[in-house]
Amino acid sequence: MKIENAAVLGVGMTRFRFERQRSTLELAREAGRAALRAAGIDLSEVDEAWVGYMAPEPMLGVRVMKEFGLTGLPVTHVENASATGLAAFREAAWAVASGRCRVAMAIGFDKMSEMAAGGRGGRGIGRDSIDSVILPAAYFALWAMRRMHERGTKPEHFARIAAKNWNHGALNPLADRQADHEITPEEVLASPMVAEPLTAMMVCPIDDGAACAIVAHPNVVRAKQPGRPVVNVRSSVFRSETYAPGHTFLGAVVGPATMTADTAKLAYEAAGIGPGDVDLALCHDAFANEELEYYELLGFCAEGEAEKLVEAGDTALGGRIPFNTDGGLVARGHPGGPTGLAMIHEITQQLRGEAGPRQVENARTGLAHLVGGGSVCTVNLLQRD
Amino acid sequence: MTEAEIRRIPIQPGFFTIPDDPDESPRLLGSQCSACGESFFPRREICAACLADSLEPVELGPRGTLYTFTWVHPPLFGPLRADAGAYGVGQVDLAEGPRVQAVLSGERDEFSIGMEVALELETLRKTDEGDEVVIFRFAPAALEERRA
Repeated sequence: MKIENAAVLGVGMTRFRFERQRSTLELAREAGRAALRAAGIDLSEVDEAWVGYMAPEPMLGVRVMKEFGLTGLPVTHVENASATGLAAFREAAWAVASGRCRVAMAIGFDKMSEMAAGGRGGRGIGRDSIDSVILPAAYFALWAMRRMHERGTKPEHFARIAAKNWNHGALNPLADRQADHEITPEEVLASPMVAEPLTAMMVCPIDDGAACAIVAHPNVVRAKQPGRPVVNVRSSVFRSETYAPGHTFLGAVVGPATMTADTAKLAYEAAGIGPGDVDLALCHDAFANEELEYYELLGFCAEGEAEKLVEAGDTALGGRIPFNTDGGLVARGHPGGPTGLAMIHEITQQLRGEAGPRQVENARTGLAHLVGGGSVCTVNLLQRD
Repeated sequence: MTEAEIRRIPIQPGFFTIPDDPDESPRLLGSQCSACGESFFPRREICAACLADSLEPVELGPRGTLYTFTWVHPPLFGPLRADAGAYGVGQVDLAEGPRVQAVLSGERDEFSIGMEVALELETLRKTDEGDEVVIFRFAPAALEERRA
């Protein structure tokens, strides 16, 4: 379904990085206050909030919201693994579009540094359990190995994507990874192997952080921010898996790649927007090989053509369809709950023409995509007036 | 205690068989839909394909084709331990249909996509009572034949 009358009023986020000294609450407070300030409101104008995090702490979301005041607003917790932030955003967008809310907030936060510390190590997390809950890196490496087998893709293709995102990240002060020199594919390939063929520099870092997006009726945005471009939400589609032969029930982290194609198709149809209209895309590049798959699955090239996009540099800033302009999960970082809202942050800056050295010229339409373990997929289309 | 008295027990019941003869391959415990014929691993009550609730228990494997695999180097994540070696993980298409993800038993160079693999049991540890706790793995089929 098309979303009408929902636009981004304000965004805010912390820089994603290892935050040894700061609590989840402090990070969330920083991001939420930044978004409220950017929106030009306080909590009294927020009708409802969706709070996204993966940490196993019940009630944390309501406690976080108290940092902004106690106004009695409904607060709902959302958890969908890596897709959590965009799942929360979708609820906020629909709450405004339906007329139930004039202003709605989506806020996400997590400390992966604390969650990763829970791993048992030894012979590998989950290696000796019945469901072989292997590292997500290994799961996406299974995609990469199959792709190389079927299409002749080389590790160099994945390395080029990773290097591109590292170099995008260096232009984003909120990115975790801030390389002090231009990263080359050779450097990416030479970093330690994580899961063949994926090396450490092709894999997202362990991050802590928070991000927030406030959604409102476009009339509210125009009244609060006269003369500023209005960033509208055109569609927000969220799916779990559809059964197909070859489905892996046990151990798999994220389901078949086709889930992204199915979700994207619905999002494009709902918005009346095609891949040719999209000026920049942010996708789940937790592992660089995923991004290559999504070029095809999100409709930016034909099946089997993704390698050519990489070779032509089409998905770098300045290219035909820049991907992960803020560094993506590989460089901006991937703390879990806030990741999707960092994508909304970047798209909002881009569509307002406020992305500084990362600005995509005349950017009008942006796409945000995430997959999440379990598994789920979400595709969101935003467009300025 | 003689060897014959050592019992093998599954790491978790309900997922695979443990044959009395240690040379015999284990099988996976799955379900087949009596309405549409689709097979699944692990066992389930409702068909994921046609939603019928008439599933029959079946035993699957032990042979399959390696659809994809990787070699994982775990010391890069979580608490580091010196003995954490690299290991293989694969997805195997069983002849009956289901695709099964599991750890691979063997060395990196023994595996290639499209090869035939077979189920085997690996002993993870012994209980205080002396029983062996086992889990299923996939090994190259040729290797499994040599062992048998």
